Amino acid sequence: MIGYVPGTSPLHRAHPYTTLALAGAVLLGAFALTRPLEVWLLVAAAAAFAAAGGVLRSSARTALLLSLPIWALLFVLHGLLGADPRTTVGPLSLSVPGMARALVLGGRITAIVLGFLTALATTSPHRLVEAMTARGVPFGRTFLLASTLTVLPRMRERAAQILEAQQCRGLRLGGSVLARLRALGPLALPLVLGALAEVDEQVLALDARGAASAARRTALDPPPDSRAQRLVRVALLVLVVAAYGWKFWKMRG
Amino acid sequence: MTALVALERVGFTYPGAARAALSDVSLELAAGEVLVVTGETGAGASTLLLVATGFAPRVVGGRLTGGRRIAARRCGVVFARPWTQLTGLCSTVQDEIAFGPASYGLPRQAVLDASARAMRELRVEHLAGREPSQLSGGELQRVVVAAALALDPEVLALDDPAAELDPEAADALYDVLPAIAASGKAVVVATPDLERAARVATRAVKLEGGRIATSGAPAAVLEGTEPSLLARAAGCPPPWPLDVPALVGRVRR
Amino acid sequence: MTLRDLVLIRLGVAVNLVIGQIVAALLLPVYLDSVGTILVAALVGPRAAIVAGLLSQVLNAVLSGNFSWLPFAVVQVVIALYAAAAARLGAFRRLATAVPAGVGMGFVAASCSAPISYFLFGGVTAGGVTLVTTVLRALGAPLGVAVASASYSTDLLDKAIACGLVCLVLRSLPRTLAARFPALAR
Repeated sequence: MIGYVPGTSPLHRAHPYTTLALAGAVLLGAFALTRPLEVWLLVAAAAAFAAAGGVLRSSARTALLLSLPIWALLFVLHGLLGADPRTTVGPLSLSVPGMARALVLGGRITAIVLGFLTALATTSPHRLVEAMTARGVPFGRTFLLASTLTVLPRMRERAAQILEAQQCRGLRLGGSVLARLRALGPLALPLVLGALAEVDEQVLALDARGAASAARRTALDPPPDSRAQRLVRVALLVLVVAAYGWKFWKMRG
Repeated sequence: MTALVALERVGFTYPGAARAALSDVSLELAAGEVLVVTGETGAGASTLLLVATGFAPRVVGGRLTGGRRIAARRCGVVFARPWTQLTGLCSTVQDEIAFGPASYGLPRQAVLDASARAMRELRVEHLAGREPSQLSGGELQRVVVAAALALDPEVLALDDPAAELDPEAADALYDVLPAIAASGKAVVVATPDLERAARVATRAVKLEGGRIATSGAPAAVLEGTEPSLLARAAGCPPPWPLDVPALVGRVRR
Repeated sequence: MTLRDLVLIRLGVAVNLVIGQIVAALLLPVYLDSVGTILVAALVGPRAAIVAGLLSQVLNAVLSGNFSWLPFAVVQVVIALYAAAAARLGAFRRLATAVPAGVGMGFVAASCSAPISYFLFGGVTAGGVTLVTTVLRALGAPLGVAVASASYSTDLLDKAIACGLVCLVLRSLPRTLAARFPALAR
């Protein structure tokens, strides 16, 4: 659902920086647009982005599922409980500005989620790390981004193991809020302390393999970039700046 | 033949520790040998490895006294737990092994050659495209050793490398050590596994309370345990089992 | 930034993302998604804690699909700075000082997140907080008040528990392990 989906679309073959720039432009642009029509044009653009990646169906479905609770809350918070003037649709009395606001806010979130799901689906973490290494991004940044994702499943597993072990020792998960709060200690402390105890060994292992070397790391399989893609990234930046410029100009005038 | 590492009356204390972890230790490491360091838990075997390879106090802090000369260009280190030694950045075994040379900025072909050579030595070529997190403990530990060897260290230190491995995997790991030493490296292994150690050691050192208690030929240092004396008395041929489980295994046969 | 700092930041991020699992199993009305950030602030310092907080926010958004959380990254920076200052003042040495420090942190964090929630999202960010906001609004409170009250009440509790937990972790560190963190000695 969420994550890399292998494929051969133009987005898959594009340099990871380009797909991320597109998603970033959608994110930043969403907050610059304030009218329902503008926001929904952006949603359409995000959908086109997803189609270019060959992931429109899956991304749209996931985006809808993820934004459903938000839409529901928006409807209640702004549609039903919004300010006057109101209009009646069937048995419901809806606030007109509230519904407009709900459309803008909901559209924003839908566009952002769609944009990022597409970027995630078409960028393999490995390719992104190689792209960053080829660009000379310092080891620290690639390390934090990529290795945290690798470390997570093991830590989750350990958390589950600690949960089981403590339950065998008689820890009860139910009861009053205070009792459950007290159960937090025996569950969280071993997890954190165990991870801290491994730090020295991890640092030694990394150091021994040259992670602290000042040399520029060799990228073994860098994704190809092109002038056209670089131009696209610059153009996106210009678009976003223009959108914010227009927004603030409208606010002034 | 000059020693790769020379320690003269070296002492070492970890930060915040009340006692010294090592006292008055004098030791030399030469190419082509497999030195086994043994002792009870807390006797200082792991610390000796870190001090001999230069990782203590540089990476772990602490205070070093005495004379230490490391002529080796580079030292590698392998620990007991395979999973904590993965970089987390690499999606394939080949990338994991290539990480070391790539970190030093070696040209692409040199990196690939170094990893190919290391994989051949540890007989893990068939695992090249696999994901590290999917390997068994034994396979992963061999990958970790290969990753350390890819940097062509002159000294390879292994701290209880078979602790978490099943017997076949442990045997496979120890069997590789003499060949590594024969290629011109100094191999030093800290381990409580006296039987396997005796099979591969060219020299042995026993630590007690941070000091060297005995050192010399493996037979002299690692022997003298009751099971081995019993086995000799019973007329078993060498190598004599050094601990009770090994004795039981031999007697059954 | 040393290798050690990087490994600790990674630990902090992992803790941030995984403690939520434990909290869900206990059905507690908090997120505790800043425990790692606060821990890194106490063990290393503000810069590392800021990186940990920002990265946690990004990964959280990426892994859960809730990308609208990205603008709240600013709040993580604020939490990191506050935690580092609190650690410097010795607030994490005893529970009696850690929990009130957490309440203060919750106040500061909510003061940052409430405006973001209100102006960028109209109060809707799809979490337990939004439910509280909706209920308050339905009871007649103006939107701004509802958003603020929901933010403050959840954040005060959340950060108080988080700081208490970090205090317990630091006190449980074996002496030799604690000696490896010079920031603790200060």
